[in-house]
Amino acid sequence: MTNPKLHLIDTDIHERVQYSQLLPYLPQPYRRYIEDCSWIQEKHMPFTQPAVAGVDRADAVVPDGRPAGSDLPFMQSQLLDEIGHEFGILTGALDPSPSSMHGWYEMATALASAYNDWQIEHWLEKDERLYGSVHIAAQDPQGAVKEIERVGSHKKMVQILLPIDDKLWGDPYYHPIFEAAEKHDLMIGMHHNEPPVHYGKWPRYFIEWHTLIPVAHMTMVTNMVFNGVFEKFPKLKMMMIEGGFTYVPFLMRKMDQQYRDLRHEVPWIKRMPSDIIRKHICFTTQPLEEMTKKEFLQTFEHMGTDEIVSFSTDYPHWDYDSPYEALPKGLDEGLQRKLFSENARNFYPKLPQLKEEE
Amino acid sequence: MEEVVCRTEDLQPGEMMESRFGKHEIVVCRASDGHYYAFLNRCIHQGAPLSKGKLCGAPEPTDNLGEYKFERDGDILRCPWHGREFDIRNKGCMLANEKFKIKNFKVMEKNDEVIVYK
Repeated sequence: MTNPKLHLIDTDIHERVQYSQLLPYLPQPYRRYIEDCSWIQEKHMPFTQPAVAGVDRADAVVPDGRPAGSDLPFMQSQLLDEIGHEFGILTGALDPSPSSMHGWYEMATALASAYNDWQIEHWLEKDERLYGSVHIAAQDPQGAVKEIERVGSHKKMVQILLPIDDKLWGDPYYHPIFEAAEKHDLMIGMHHNEPPVHYGKWPRYFIEWHTLIPVAHMTMVTNMVFNGVFEKFPKLKMMMIEGGFTYVPFLMRKMDQQYRDLRHEVPWIKRMPSDIIRKHICFTTQPLEEMTKKEFLQTFEHMGTDEIVSFSTDYPHWDYDSPYEALPKGLDEGLQRKLFSENARNFYPKLPQLKEEE
Repeated sequence: MEEVVCRTEDLQPGEMMESRFGKHEIVVCRASDGHYYAFLNRCIHQGAPLSKGKLCGAPEPTDNLGEYKFERDGDILRCPWHGREFDIRNKGCMLANEKFKIKNFKVMEKNDEVIVYK
């Protein structure tokens, strides 16, 4: 079933839950708020129009009408078997993010717990290729740490998911989360939620918002590096998910430049920021810009490495990237191997290593 | 070649002044330990006149996030433009990256005079 040539480790697959599926895992009174009061998170993105089926691939809608990403057998046939994945990292779709919860930490933490239990039972333990992300309500670090302690040692949980939202997670207030991550060999996965890139508001058009998602990613990379998270937690690494990677050369150069002049403000940083990025941060490819092979390779040249980028499909979203079509043609096999599997395998300590005979 | 660039009494520890050494414009600095150091008066970044900056201290590298240990007062030359820091007692190396340094000259004191030579 696995495509032996590709050895694909897909670093961004969105499984989807519906609240009704979480009810069995939610204690009272939280269950009642959903069941009796129709409570929902305030996910307020005002755009449903980008592609023919909203923000999903039109052909990823489950044939019985359920939303894309909500059915494992259908995902298996359309993605995992069809492409020949070796592994896939689930990155969720329900996120009790600060901006969607408005300070209701208790409900946010309960939702995260329920989600983790549902993810483990219905996905991680149903398909050996799938690995998971621990959901937490990071805005409540104490509750988040409890949840990491509860499920973080599950052998198929490889990272902790933090939303790129309206909080800057490098603040020492949130460091107990990173301490718990390090303890369990979990990496940090950062994925934008509804990033406030337009002065905290929404632009007029989806195309504006979607163009500038990397701005929100840059904000978080800059924050995590200069707040010294990777100096304090030397084993910790961070996967920047769904923001692409072509902004990285710019950001490395900009951060190094700033550091030369402004080092005195952050004396706990003792390495060049670009060195910290190369050692601790990895970036998923999707959504790939269409580039020539030359342009593509130049990006790596400017980053000084080709070992911190990992291929991702972002299934089942509308801007899915095909492992067979999205990269420029004619890349040498060594580079393809790094992008499709080696870099992700080196990034996540809990992913199985390649067997000798392979 | 040697040249008197100033008198020892011209500078107190932590002070600096412009001078000349042959065709070079230089900055003569007196560090906290009383010793004199001389550098080309031109930042390696964008050529700013270093003598217009500040001889001060700097927050030391630390293992503790949020900690500022301001030390070496009088030993750190900061550029007047971008504030880049150079350690005058360590050959003018840039604090952020020791691979880079401002050009330094050899200095000796003799009979109340500060002499630059090569």
